[in-house]
Amino acid sequence: MRRSLAVLATLAVAVATPQARATPDEAREWLQRMTESLASRNYDGLFTHTSGNQSETMRIVHRVEEGRSVERLVSLDGSGREIVRTAGEVHFYMPDRRVVIVEPRSDDGSLLKALPAPGPRLDSLYTLSIREGKKLLGREVRVVDIRPRDAYRYGYRLWLDEETAMPLRSIVVGNDGQAVEQIHFARLETDGKIDRHELEPAVDATGFQWIRAGKRAEPRAAVAVLGWRPLKMPPGFQLVASRLQVMPGVPMPVQHLIFSDGFASVSVFIEPGPPTGPAPPEFTSMGSANAFSTRIQGHVVTAVGEVPAATVRDIATSVAPVQAEVPSAEAPTAEVPTADVER
Amino acid sequence: MTNQIREQMSALLDGELPPDEVGLLVRRLERDAGLRKAFGNYVLAGESLRAPGAIMASPGFAARVGAAIGDDVVPVAPRQAAPGREPLRWRRPLAATAVAAGAALAAVLLVRPGTDQGARLAANGSAAAVATLASLPAGGSSPTLAQNQRLASYLVAHGQYASPLGRRNLWSSALAADTGITRVAYEIVEGP
Repeated sequence: MRRSLAVLATLAVAVATPQARATPDEAREWLQRMTESLASRNYDGLFTHTSGNQSETMRIVHRVEEGRSVERLVSLDGSGREIVRTAGEVHFYMPDRRVVIVEPRSDDGSLLKALPAPGPRLDSLYTLSIREGKKLLGREVRVVDIRPRDAYRYGYRLWLDEETAMPLRSIVVGNDGQAVEQIHFARLETDGKIDRHELEPAVDATGFQWIRAGKRAEPRAAVAVLGWRPLKMPPGFQLVASRLQVMPGVPMPVQHLIFSDGFASVSVFIEPGPPTGPAPPEFTSMGSANAFSTRIQGHVVTAVGEVPAATVRDIATSVAPVQAEVPSAEAPTAEVPTADVER
Repeated sequence: MTNQIREQMSALLDGELPPDEVGLLVRRLERDAGLRKAFGNYVLAGESLRAPGAIMASPGFAARVGAAIGDDVVPVAPRQAAPGREPLRWRRPLAATAVAAGAALAAVLLVRPGTDQGARLAANGSAAAVATLASLPAGGSSPTLAQNQRLASYLVAHGQYASPLGRRNLWSSALAADTGITRVAYEIVEGP
């Protein structure tokens, strides 16, 4: 009885004070719905991607096949580039370079569980709010604001379809309050039948250079790069996955560490590099993604993520070998896989 | 390009093209590189007024326009700024504002193009220093082909571990990378 009363009281408050429903919990639930919709629904949409003074129209096609998502993202009016994520690989077609980069797909088993999820700890890093918005594409929308509590991450404003929670528009906001990147759908069809051929690339890659990353290396094969960690991480970023991988053009396996704060994520790549030679570029900016490369003890360390430039810089420059984790007794005797380059 | 195609593109961007025509137009765009290029110019012309960089042309101008059309601008991020840091401001992106004030904003853009690269960051760990990002001079300092490919590989690899929304943003940036990539120099400037 006491429990029933408590439930009734909660319902009464929720109904009597609609403002009170717009809580961080509700915003988080909408973010969770959005994440699930993006991963589990079939959809086909056209959107403009705007960053700086550049704008391109792109198409995204997403289909769920036997519980796995496959998708195709293609630039319609610029370079003609495409990214196709098949059941087993990710293909990045660059017709402007006559190159295809192939990566093995990684979201299997435990790694899938490690995908960023908007959990309660988001509240300590972001202020979440939600409100009703004006219609987009003829659909009722909820507007979710995600405002960072510090300068280590971006803010977001998302316009979510009331029915499906699909984002119809999104803006990434920088520390200075300026829009860093915007995605605005001009058309979005959800839950329709997506023919398999819609996921096939339009690019004729005959004669292109195929740069195929090797499969994940065995840990013993890359003991030389084991045990590197950023010593200084921004608040809230936790290590969610770590792997060793052969990257195109790099003879030794690269250590890939993935950190997430529950919404944004950062990857750190540590590759054994030549102790001399041209220095890698430092900052690189691509839309909301920033990268920072530096050389540390003969290794090239690169941090990449959808976070401000200062964040990837801080993370990359703090990377150091953690001696205790390097199993010195195990020499790297296993064969090191290599990256394949086909023509 | 025929007027019909032009009208279809316009309707597409406005979300008003009938679904059966959308499919035909998309397939045509996928096949026809010349049409894609024309469409790109068309989109860029239409979007330039709404580009995020536009709101950097003149913050004061943005506020005035916002006030003039009764926009509900400038929510402020409820955060505590570290000593010496500028507090974060959360300004409403001025997409609708820019369209409403199209002619005036275009004038600002003509005067101050390409102001989006002057991002200013609060330097971590140092209250007195401010990190400033500025574009390098054109020529000679662009990433090499190999560096671009390496970066593209990193973006693809990282995107696999990002949230679905993050992945879409990251990979969209990768598709637009040739025009969007900017190598920037880094320097520390002593703050006040």
